[in-house]
Amino acid sequence: MDLLWQTAVNATYAASYMALIAVGLVMIFGVMGVINFAHGELYMVGAYCVVFLYAQENFPFLLAVAAGLVFVGIVGIVMERTMFRPLRDNPLGGLIASIGFLLILQTLVVFGFGRRMGHVPPSTHGKIEFFGAVLTYQRLFVIVAAILLLAALWAFLRRSKFGRALRACAQDTEAASLQGISMNQTARIAMFIGAGLAGVAGALTAPLVSPTPYIGHSIIVTAFIIIIVGGVGSLEGAVIAAVLYAFVHTFVTTFFDGVIANIVGLALMLSVLVVRPTGLFGARERA
Amino acid sequence: MPEPVGAMPATGTGGSIGRIAWRLRPVFLFAALAALPYLLSYSQQEIAVLLVINVLLVSSYRLLTLTGEWSLGHVVIMGVGAYASALLAKQAGVPVPLSMLLGGCMAAAVAALLSFPLFRMKGFYFLIGSFAAGEIIRLIWKRFTDPFGGPKGLKRIEPFPDIETGFLSIDFYEPVNYYFLALVVVSASLFVLYRIERSRIGLTFHAIHWQDRLAESVGVDTFRYRTLAFVIASFFAGIAGGLYAHYIGAVNPTRFSVDQMVYVLVWAIVGGTATFHGPILGVVVLTVINEIVLRALGLDTARPLIYGAILILSVLYLPNGLESLGPRLRALWQRRRGGSAAAGSEPA
Amino acid sequence: MSRKSLDRKISRRKFLGTTAASGTALAAMGSGLSRVAFADSHTIRIGFLAPLTGPVAAWGKPGLDGCLIWADWVNAKGGVNIGGQSYNIEFVGYDNEYDAAKARTGATKLIKEDGVKFVMMLGGDTWPGVQKIAEREGMLFSTLLPSDLSPDSTTLVAPCEVHPIYNVTGVEWLAENKPELKTAAMCAQDDALGKPSVATYLAAFEAAGIEMQDEPLFFDPATTDFAPVMTKLLAGNPDILCLDTCYADYVHPLCEQAFQQGYKGQIISCTADFYQKIIEKTSAEFMEGFIFQFPDFDDPALNSEGVNFVNPNEFYAEYAKRYGASEWGAVSWEYASIMDLWADAAGKAGSAEPAAVLEAMKAGGTGKHAFGTADWWGTELFGIDNALVGNWPVVAIEGGKATIKEFRSIPAWWDKHKDLMVKHMTALGQMWNQRG
Repeated sequence: MDLLWQTAVNATYAASYMALIAVGLVMIFGVMGVINFAHGELYMVGAYCVVFLYAQENFPFLLAVAAGLVFVGIVGIVMERTMFRPLRDNPLGGLIASIGFLLILQTLVVFGFGRRMGHVPPSTHGKIEFFGAVLTYQRLFVIVAAILLLAALWAFLRRSKFGRALRACAQDTEAASLQGISMNQTARIAMFIGAGLAGVAGALTAPLVSPTPYIGHSIIVTAFIIIIVGGVGSLEGAVIAAVLYAFVHTFVTTFFDGVIANIVGLALMLSVLVVRPTGLFGARERA
Repeated sequence: MPEPVGAMPATGTGGSIGRIAWRLRPVFLFAALAALPYLLSYSQQEIAVLLVINVLLVSSYRLLTLTGEWSLGHVVIMGVGAYASALLAKQAGVPVPLSMLLGGCMAAAVAALLSFPLFRMKGFYFLIGSFAAGEIIRLIWKRFTDPFGGPKGLKRIEPFPDIETGFLSIDFYEPVNYYFLALVVVSASLFVLYRIERSRIGLTFHAIHWQDRLAESVGVDTFRYRTLAFVIASFFAGIAGGLYAHYIGAVNPTRFSVDQMVYVLVWAIVGGTATFHGPILGVVVLTVINEIVLRALGLDTARPLIYGAILILSVLYLPNGLESLGPRLRALWQRRRGGSAAAGSEPA
Repeated sequence: MSRKSLDRKISRRKFLGTTAASGTALAAMGSGLSRVAFADSHTIRIGFLAPLTGPVAAWGKPGLDGCLIWADWVNAKGGVNIGGQSYNIEFVGYDNEYDAAKARTGATKLIKEDGVKFVMMLGGDTWPGVQKIAEREGMLFSTLLPSDLSPDSTTLVAPCEVHPIYNVTGVEWLAENKPELKTAAMCAQDDALGKPSVATYLAAFEAAGIEMQDEPLFFDPATTDFAPVMTKLLAGNPDILCLDTCYADYVHPLCEQAFQQGYKGQIISCTADFYQKIIEKTSAEFMEGFIFQFPDFDDPALNSEGVNFVNPNEFYAEYAKRYGASEWGAVSWEYASIMDLWADAAGKAGSAEPAAVLEAMKAGGTGKHAFGTADWWGTELFGIDNALVGNWPVVAIEGGKATIKEFRSIPAWWDKHKDLMVKHMTALGQMWNQRG
């Protein structure tokens, strides 16, 4: 029974940070129409913000996490302005540019922090125990932050003018611009949010993963699987798929092994693609 | 740039020396390619061998992109050819040139099988679907140590047999000799690929890309044509895999990972995919920059950074690829000369 | 070797003669152009062919950095004395990006254009691309991964790392000093690094009479969250938790998870890079008694008689000063220790030529390994006696500091339990004659 509870706790944590990453990736794809291959590196940069500010310069952990969100969000705005905006009609060009960008980010982090892992001491050793399962505060932070951030994002997209503009752009760029919605402004905000979510995921999990300059690769592959299962254009789908994937992967790892869990994950994605190519929550129209 | 024989566009009727030279392009090209290894150092010859193999890989990839689909599984398909050819030679004792051909056929067969699930998807979904399919193939190589060798892959793959006759002795360990072997195989393959593109089938591929609903409405079975493009492209990727496996002598699952695929994508897009020679231009220029220029500059640890910057700058300032550079420069040149020599300058 | 290379020249010439007529003229031009830049007569060049960029660079670049210190020290003392003359040592690096084809290109460049006398490699995925060149050119190569050894490659040696065989020493020490520990659970990274190590630990546990609670749990090398792995491992509350050989960035979260999920038992691992940081993440009590195989180089035990690594404490201090302590790892000293062995052999041989150095290196069947005089060994496991195996340190964390507990003999273990090792290696497909 402990094992079951502990596994459920583990899965909840995994679902939380994966959801942040996947929602960011979907956001960028939805508005910009580009596959941001550098998304894993944005996560990595977020983690290194915490390595620098919290572990090396001793700023408070939450401040470092907030800085990670803002800094990586700004990196996203820079990407939008310098790469994705000029390449708006050239999604493959945007893909290549994001590959170039990830190489640059990796190398810069190697120069700044060395090629070996960054070290982040936990911000607290506290933990809660229930039904024989352990949940550390460090992991609880991630779960709470993910819920708060995603809820805030949801409210923002529902209630604000920006949110409506954002959704309009994601649905139909031309119609949106005919309605007088500024594509540039919308894209900038979407990029800030999308990148910032990846950054905050990296920042929050930095004490738990031992970040290296090359960790982005593991992240992006998982994120791809999740957004495919959820449906590429759907934010809600990304969240639900993250939960689904995290639970399946965690339970299979615990009850079989990690390699089989990866195979199951891929098979899940492939079968979703075959049965319902637009993902579980994607629009009917195929891209 | 590398254009196979028979690719000469119809030129004007004039007889100036320049025009004759233009007509003789293929001759010059082959002379240059034959002379090339003797102008290079030994290790640069090694790079040239791999470059020729990659030319076939990226050109075969372009055939698939004609139908508008971008795959992330092409390098894994190359790996299927490499593994199949290596295993046939190692375990079944099939002679090497034949095993390469069978490796190509195996790659084509796997592609035909994969086309059933994959061509239910289009665009972005196809891209990701092909990635998933490729990953599953790679996991199979990793998981089934017998016969695929697990994560370490296959080693000591039979080399291409030496040719020993009375007066001729060719040892394919020497990069210069393998370069010529690869050059012959790849030229022949490119010729076939080029003819396919110019045939009615090739035109149908184009039609599917630009007007798939229309093509369907006039009775074109788009699924069949997409599959055909995928299978042909995979066959040649498999051949490239065979050429690789029997030269390097080793294959492993990491060699065919998505990181390597990203390079193929980069070569194709930086070169440009509107013309046959675009992707070839891309692979040649980027390989020379990355493997020769940046290394010669002694920038070892900064190499990925500069390479990344080059990628970004090239898609920003050459959105139609390196292939668009030639016509642009020519237009500039002609404007300078007042448009006096307009004829005979149109590339393919 | 010389006959072979002669044959090759002839066949190349024949080939040239029979190709197009233009070939001859161009060949003459080409040979003039090719950049054969041999070093001056008082410098010997050594090739360093390993990943310097990319994810595997952590196993290459710090080694090159360590070699630069080695070269500076040796050259400052006037160089290496070979046949009555002193030679400076210069390292030529080539980034193979952990790719077999690039390693092949790099090997030919180092041998044919830079004129190196010896090439050090990380090995692994990159070695099969170089194998043929080593055989044809007769160049001396070294690897850090002895699983690259095979009887076909007589000029490849594994003179420092004998991963994973030395892992038996940790288990044996544990069984002797803490006999009350009876059960174990193990997780491992599913790749060429993790698998042979799993076989080794299984053999060592079986030899020590320690029972495995379950099959080893494999995880993908791209795993980022280790909570489920640890939950599964701790399900049976094992006396011993074995982390096998995995990347440093996985040892940390694994330990952190074991701590968080309330594990109180013994941990054994091949490596524990930056263990001070693990202590920060867990607690000093939790990490007390943690067993692994890589000592700190400021450990005073390394100054004891029998250890051949020259000035280990000073080497560590200099390394930390130049590159920062956070770049230090096992490979920082390993390549440099191979250079000690090479310089010693070249001095004995009176020549830097690869064949002569190899012969002098292996003369008498023993060699000066970093941790003491050791035997050239390996026929039963690798098909060739080209691994230098002797003592290896067992390291425990005591009071927050890695401390060498004992130098233990690997051959002594092997003589008693080799059948077990062969059995487990065979079961996982890791014997030299099983590998593709």
